[in-house]
Amino acid sequence: MAAADVRDMLNLPAEGQPRPHKKQKVVEKRPEGITRELFALLGRRAPPIAIDQHRYKGRPKWLNKSRALPWRMTPFTNSARSDGLVLSHWTKDGKRKETDGAQAHDEQEAPETAEKEEYAFVKFNVKARVPSRYTTDEYNRHLKSDEWSREETDYLMDLVEEYDLRWVVIADRYDFQPQPVENTETPSTALVPSKRYRTMEQLKSRYYFVAASMLALEHPPSEMSEAEFDLHEKMIKFDAERERHRKELAALQLNRTADEVREESLLLEELKRITANEQEFITERRELYSRLDAPISVGNATNYHNSQGISHLLHTLLQADKSKKRRSLLGPEGIIPTPGGQTPITNAPGSARDSSRADTPNAGPSQPPTSKKAAAAAAAANKEATQQAIRTLTPAEEARYGVQHHDRLAPGVQFRSDRAQKLTQAKSHVQTQKLASALAELEIPLRLVMPTERVVRDFEKLIHSVNLLLDARKVSEKVESEIRVLESAREERERKAREVREKDKPEVKSEHQDEDDGQIPPVAANAAAFQANQAGRDQAETTTSSALANGPDGGGASGGGGGVSHKRSASVLSPTSDKSLKRQRK
Amino acid sequence: MNPSNAPSAAEYGGDEVSAIVLDPGFSTTRAGFAGEDTPKSLIPTYYGKYSFEGQGKLIYGDDVFVTPRPGLSIHNPIGRDGVVEDWDMAEKVWEYSFTSKLTGAKPGNPLHNGLNDLPEGELPSEMEGVESEERPLADSPLLMSESSWNPAKAREKTIEIAMEKWGSPAFYLARNGVLAAFAAGKASALVVDIGASNISVTPVHDGMILKRGVQHSPLGGDYISSQIRALFKSNSPQPIIITPHYLISAKTAVEAGQPPQVKYKTFPPERAPDASYRTLVEERTLSEFKECVVQVWPGPTKLSSTGPNGTPNEEIARNSPGRPFEFPDGYNQVFGVDRYRVVESLFDAKAAIQDPESLFPAPTQAQTVPELIKAALNGVDVDIRPHLLSNVVVTGASSLLYGFTDRLNQELMQLYPGPRVRISAPGNTSERRFSSWIGGSILASLGTFHQMWISKKEFDEHGPNIVEKRCK
Repeated sequence: MAAADVRDMLNLPAEGQPRPHKKQKVVEKRPEGITRELFALLGRRAPPIAIDQHRYKGRPKWLNKSRALPWRMTPFTNSARSDGLVLSHWTKDGKRKETDGAQAHDEQEAPETAEKEEYAFVKFNVKARVPSRYTTDEYNRHLKSDEWSREETDYLMDLVEEYDLRWVVIADRYDFQPQPVENTETPSTALVPSKRYRTMEQLKSRYYFVAASMLALEHPPSEMSEAEFDLHEKMIKFDAERERHRKELAALQLNRTADEVREESLLLEELKRITANEQEFITERRELYSRLDAPISVGNATNYHNSQGISHLLHTLLQADKSKKRRSLLGPEGIIPTPGGQTPITNAPGSARDSSRADTPNAGPSQPPTSKKAAAAAAAANKEATQQAIRTLTPAEEARYGVQHHDRLAPGVQFRSDRAQKLTQAKSHVQTQKLASALAELEIPLRLVMPTERVVRDFEKLIHSVNLLLDARKVSEKVESEIRVLESAREERERKAREVREKDKPEVKSEHQDEDDGQIPPVAANAAAFQANQAGRDQAETTTSSALANGPDGGGASGGGGGVSHKRSASVLSPTSDKSLKRQRK
Repeated sequence: MNPSNAPSAAEYGGDEVSAIVLDPGFSTTRAGFAGEDTPKSLIPTYYGKYSFEGQGKLIYGDDVFVTPRPGLSIHNPIGRDGVVEDWDMAEKVWEYSFTSKLTGAKPGNPLHNGLNDLPEGELPSEMEGVESEERPLADSPLLMSESSWNPAKAREKTIEIAMEKWGSPAFYLARNGVLAAFAAGKASALVVDIGASNISVTPVHDGMILKRGVQHSPLGGDYISSQIRALFKSNSPQPIIITPHYLISAKTAVEAGQPPQVKYKTFPPERAPDASYRTLVEERTLSEFKECVVQVWPGPTKLSSTGPNGTPNEEIARNSPGRPFEFPDGYNQVFGVDRYRVVESLFDAKAAIQDPESLFPAPTQAQTVPELIKAALNGVDVDIRPHLLSNVVVTGASSLLYGFTDRLNQELMQLYPGPRVRISAPGNTSERRFSSWIGGSILASLGTFHQMWISKKEFDEHGPNIVEKRCK
């Protein structure tokens, strides 16, 4: 049973109020090609997914339309025309989709509907705004002119209106023929008056005068709106003479000869170059000033701690200098390298240098030097050249400036640190290790932290003494082993003597001795090492040997006290003794 | 953009009312529907006249070239200065140009088409009502073009023909300079039109010609033909005589420069066509010669002067490879420097080849193209001269001479070294030949133009003088 039936039975008015319609559940349609489960996961606001299905596209949409819209030749009128000319064009009418029966009726109505519609292109039919026309009275009071008759003014205003203020065309078509009526009135000038040629400026000034006057008549200037006032001002201020002059200039500009054009372009080019130079000069000077004002760099200098970094820095500086050199020479206040500061090349070079630099604008001797520095430099070059050549430095100064004298220099560049490094490398690996361990013992790093001249010199001495020490130790070891051999020989002799003395001793003991004997003799060196192992006895011997070794160097190697050095050298030897122990174990 | 879909009317402001555009020239007459890109109907303006069985007959269109009928004489209704001389025939030729291909063959006037001819002695019945319905242009507005110096009388005559004879519902007469500028997409331009009978230079400002700047001279394509004829007369191995195809029955190939070996066709004097027919057919060979051989010296200096490195330009031209051409009778020759000389007088009047028998008097320097342009520019306001110079539109079939625009560019650059000179010449030959027709096609299919038509009603009200007021 429908609601309507119930209402009918109960005599209720049919559908008094529209019931608030059910809130429509928004069911988003599941796009094809996506499973239900997956779609459920997407949530309420599914992201836009473009599902690309490779399938046959079927018929294009435009084919699906059952009927094509008809195009009809429709007559239309143009409201911009006054004569109601009816032209016809093809139109596609959407509303004409009716049955064929209604078509005849439709066609009858067509012209009416077309007329009602505004033609689309009428809106483009615009005219320039021209001032309202004067009356005779107004003309006589305000616009009279000796130059212009009323008729000619009318003609001008007609033309302006006709050609929409296109002055080029107006001036081109301006062809005023005085009315023959005038001639009949004044028979004295019976001949046709000579045609006056009006220039565009004359036309414009007349028109602007008329237009401004009309505008002022309409609203006095005090009541004009801003735009109107501007227009009025512009028209009042039109200066035909100036305009004529401007056009003359424009004609001159247009009719220049090729040479003039070329000259102008050359001049322009020159001007451009000059301004560019000036700009460059300004930027350079600014850069210089900023460099002078720049605070001392507090940047990280660790890059330059090692020799590689420094050499890199040197390289970059050299590069930068090379590129800057020419400019700084040419620049009016660039720092001119002072001849005095350079290695003095005594007699001839002074003049040679000057002549070579004479082509630079400011450095030549003929011109006054611009800066004091340059002046001082020139003076120094001329007068004190000889003095400077023989000037000698005191030892203190030498030390301060780091001046050194070498008997002979190896060619090329070498680094002190490299030299120091080389010292720590001995011929044999074992020796190197020994050196290294000695240095480690002395707490001197293998690679010097600050290889200054003096440090390297001392380091050299140290290494030298360490080498001596090692040599001495070698010698002492040799001597020791000899001593041991001799001692063992003596012992042997003593033992034999004892054996001879104690011939009557039991047999067993002698048997044991035999065994020992068989072991020791083949390796004399082993025996020596075996002896060295017995530290207590050895100690005394080593101290003596090291004292022996220290003896020849004197105080050179001894940085610290003798006792300390003794102790150290003792421990220096310990690894070798360890080694000998190992050898013995084998 | 899909070329098969028309752009929407709002995009280009088009609104086609199936107007017919008629662009009559001295050499050819172009006609077609507005909105198309080339004229559908292209016929020679020349027409043929002969008598057959005592009746005077006329031939129009391309048929004039085909058959050498006995006593066939060729005429042109338009004078050499581009103004119509023979209005009756001009009307017929123009009517043929659109009825033959555009509007279809309407049944002729029943009074004159012979169907209603009454036997002798019977009185003719009243046919007035029928006549008014049978106008060839009853349902198409007509846009016609004219030269910029067309006198007012000729303009009035034109609108009378269109309105009264052809029954056009609306008419407009546009200057072909303006139309050429429109075809180039410019409202302001300096149009240099090198036609068959005339060279014209027309300054156009905002779609209107500046009458004081319009210049024209008769050094057109026909003048170049006369120069070529003069060259042929003074040709070095032997004078060249152009024998049209219709006079040749057989020929064999010959070496270059050798006399032709040809068997001529002969016509008995009473069956031979008029000399004007031969001239017309010879013109066709000459225009082929112009297309294949003739070349404009590229400049920058004149052909007669010396080049930048001291060599005379003629010497350089002589050393460049020549171009061969074979005449209808089999005679062939390679043309060297001569191919430059025939057109040099368009730029340098002194270089003209003298020929006392020529129709054309020796040109003066003021008639050359650069001088015309100079005079045209001097006739307009100085403020728009630079703008015109940067919008030089070159049009007309004779401007298709090889190297013409380059030379013109050089000449203009020398004349005006200061301002920027820019020549706009379409590379497409049909756009160059038909540019005034194409401009008319554009104009007549614009929605905003339809308020400009002179309607039949207006014509009836104001008389033919309205054309002076409306078509400014």
